[in-house]
Amino acid sequence: MQSQHNNNNTAEQPIQTVVIVGGGNAGWLTAGRIAAKHNCQAGALRVVLIESPGVPPIGVGEGTWPTMRSTLLALGISETEFIRECDATFKQGAKFARWVNGATDDFYYHPLVLPQGFGKADMAAYWLHGKTAADLAGPLSSFSNDLCYQEAICEQGLAPKTIRHAEYAAVANYAYHLDSGKFGLFLQRHCIEKLGVEHIQDDVIAVQSAANGDIAAVQTQNHGLIAGDLFVDCTGFKSLLLGEHYQVPFKRCDDVLFIDTALAVQVPYQNPDAPIASHTISTAQDCGWIWDIGLQHRRGVGYVYASRYCTEQQARDTLAAYVGPKIADLAVRKIPIVSGHRQHFWQNNCVAVGLSAGFLEPLEASALVLVEMSAQMIAEQLPATRGVMDIVARRFNQTFLYRWDKIIDFLKLHYILSQRDDSAFWRDNRDPATIPQSLQDLMQLWAHRAPGDLDFTSNNEVFPAASYQYVLYGMGFRSDTTRLQHQLNNWDFAKAQLQQNRKMIDQALTSLPTHRELINKIRQYGFQTI
Amino acid sequence: MAHLVAVEPARHQHLYVVPEQIETHAAGQNLIPVVPAELTHVATQLPLVLAKNGQTGQFVLAALTGFAPNENLMVQQGQWQGMYLPLQIQRQPFFVGKAAPEANDYVVCIDLDSPATGQTQPVPAGAEPLFLADGSETDFYRQAKQRLVQLLQGEQQRDALIEALLQCQLLQPMSLDITFADQSTTRLNGLYTIDADKLAALAPEQVVHLHQQGHLAAIYAILGSAAQIYGLIARKNQQLVG
Repeated sequence: MQSQHNNNNTAEQPIQTVVIVGGGNAGWLTAGRIAAKHNCQAGALRVVLIESPGVPPIGVGEGTWPTMRSTLLALGISETEFIRECDATFKQGAKFARWVNGATDDFYYHPLVLPQGFGKADMAAYWLHGKTAADLAGPLSSFSNDLCYQEAICEQGLAPKTIRHAEYAAVANYAYHLDSGKFGLFLQRHCIEKLGVEHIQDDVIAVQSAANGDIAAVQTQNHGLIAGDLFVDCTGFKSLLLGEHYQVPFKRCDDVLFIDTALAVQVPYQNPDAPIASHTISTAQDCGWIWDIGLQHRRGVGYVYASRYCTEQQARDTLAAYVGPKIADLAVRKIPIVSGHRQHFWQNNCVAVGLSAGFLEPLEASALVLVEMSAQMIAEQLPATRGVMDIVARRFNQTFLYRWDKIIDFLKLHYILSQRDDSAFWRDNRDPATIPQSLQDLMQLWAHRAPGDLDFTSNNEVFPAASYQYVLYGMGFRSDTTRLQHQLNNWDFAKAQLQQNRKMIDQALTSLPTHRELINKIRQYGFQTI
Repeated sequence: MAHLVAVEPARHQHLYVVPEQIETHAAGQNLIPVVPAELTHVATQLPLVLAKNGQTGQFVLAALTGFAPNENLMVQQGQWQGMYLPLQIQRQPFFVGKAAPEANDYVVCIDLDSPATGQTQPVPAGAEPLFLADGSETDFYRQAKQRLVQLLQGEQQRDALIEALLQCQLLQPMSLDITFADQSTTRLNGLYTIDADKLAALAPEQVVHLHQQGHLAAIYAILGSAAQIYGLIARKNQQLVG
C-alpha cells in the first residue's frame, strides 16, 4: 500500500524543472526551445543547463536544414545577428559531384526548393516519359535543372535573397552553413540573457536514482546535487545518462553505411572577396566523399571514408589532392565516426538529444536537424506530470526510431545507384546484403513510378518524397513509366511547368546578388525585420 | 550619370545654374526621398510611403509619384506639376561630399552633367552664376548651400524617425492592386506604411516619447497622406485617356 501511495504521488508530480546535462549546440538548442516555449522568464518552468567547463564541444555539423530558420525564429533570434556572429552563410542544398560515374563533369543537385509543379501533377513521371518521347518543350538537361530553378542560382554563386528581403524571408528556400563553435557560444548567450536558462559550469560526477528508477538528481563536483523532473542527455558521444547510466544499447549501422572516419580541415579563402558557394559540395572519392562548406572567412573541408577500404595515409593523400598544396600549412583533425543510434532515446525521465542519441555520416546534414526536431518535440509535448511522461516517451521513441531508419535509408540511397567501380567501397555499397529491406522495397516500387508522399507515413518526414526524386533521378535512375501512360494526360500543364521554371531561372539570375555581396551587405547594413 | 566635382571658386569662376532645368531631375523617378520637415507640405499632394533602398535594404521615406519604377506622373514637359517641390529636387544640381574619404568635413559638389549646370559663355538669360566677378559667392549660391544644410539635418531627423518607427514596430508592408481607366492593372509591392492599429495600441509612455522626439506630426502626416493615392491614380488615368 505504501508503495502504491508513493507511485500516486509520483504520477501527480508536475514537471517543474528540466535539467540539461551538456552544452554544445544540442544542449543549448534544447534548452532554448524549451525555455522559449514555456516562458521560463515568467518562472513557470525552470531550465537548468550543466556544462562541463573542461570539455570542448565536438562541433559537428556545419550544415543545417531550412528548419533552422523556424528554430531561430522560435528562439526569438535576429537573423542578422546570427549571421554576423556565427560566421554563417546561406545553404541552398547540396551538389553531388562525381557520384554517378566519377567523371569530372558528373554532378547533380539536391536543392531545397520543391520541383516545379510538385504536388499538382506527377512531374517526375512527365519528365521521365518526356525524356524518351521528346514530348516536353525545349531540350531537357537534368531533373534538378529542368524542374527546379535553385540549381542555376547555386551554379552562379548567387544568394537566395536580396538585402531588401526581411529577416527569414526568401526568393529561394534556404538553410545555413555555420561555424559550429561560434553558434554554440551565440546560443549560450541568448539562452541565458534572453530566455532565462540557468547555467551551471560544473562536472557531473554521479547520478542519484529514485525508487522508480528515475533520475532524482545529478551530483556535481562543486554545486552539490542538482534535482530535476526531466533530464536531457546532451553529453555527446559519452552518452552519460542514457548510455552509461541506463545502459541503453547502441545499435550500429556500419553494415549499411561504411564510413567510419573523418579527416577535417579549415581552409582559408585566397582573398577576402573570394566567392562563397551557396550550397554544400559533396565530391565522391574512391573510399568515401569530401564535404566542402563555405563560411564567411574560411571553408570547412573534410574527407569521410571507410577505413576498411583505405589506409589513413591514402585518405590524407586524397584530401591533400582536393585541397591543394596549401594543406601543408593546415591542421588536419581526425574524428572517428561510429554510425548508429541508441535502441531508444527516452528512458524513464531521461531523454537523449544530439550525439548521445546517435550519429551518422554528414552526407545530408542530418545531425542538427535531428537535434532541432528532438528539441521541438520535447518542448511542445513536454509532459505535464510524471504520470503522463511514459506516454510521451513511448511516442518520442517511435517517432525518432522511424526518423533514424528513414535517414539511414536515404543516405544509403546515394550509394546504391552509383556506377563507380574504382574500389570495393563502391561495389560493396551496391551489395543487396548491405541494403535495408525497407529501402529495397521502395526501390522495387519506384522501378514503376516516382516516389510520392504516401510512400512515407510520418506527418513531418525528415526527407520528403521530393528529396528522393532529386537523388534517384540525379543518380540517373529511371522509373519505367510505360504503365503510367494513361495517367499522363495533361501535357500542357507539364510543359508549362518547365517553361515556368526557365522563367524563374531568368528572373533569379537577373535579380539576385552574389552570395559574397549579400553577406557583405548583411555585415554592413543588416536585414530589416519586416 | 552624375559627374560630381567639388565647387572651387578658382576653378568654377564661370559656373552657373539654370533654375528652370532643376525640375527635370524629378523625371523618371517614382519615389522621391523626403525629410520630416517637409512632410506636411508633401502630404497635401502625394502619398508618403516607406521603401527599402535597393543597395542597402535600409528604409527610406519617400513621396510616391508613379506606379512603375521609371514613371513620375508629377513631371510634365520637364515641369513639376505640384505646389511644393521636395527638397531632394530643389537641391539639384548640388550635393554634399566629403573632403576626403575618411574626413569628417563636408564640401559642396556640383553635378557637371546636370542639364541645369553650365559654364559656356555668354551666360544665358535666367541663369544664376555661383560667383561674382570678385570671386565672392552670389545670393543664389548661398541659398543653395542653405538648402543642402537643411537636407543634411533633415536626413538625420529622417533616420531618427525611421529608427523610432522600427523600435515601436509601427511599419507594415502595403499591398495595393490598382485598376486603371483602361482596365490595365498593377500591383504595388515593396512599399511600407504606418500600421494605424499598432499606433492606436501604443502604451502611453511610448506615445509621450514619440511626441517628445518630435515624431508624432510626421507619423500623422504619413497616415493622412494615404488618400493622395487617388489623386495619383487620377493623374495616371488622365494620361491614359488623354
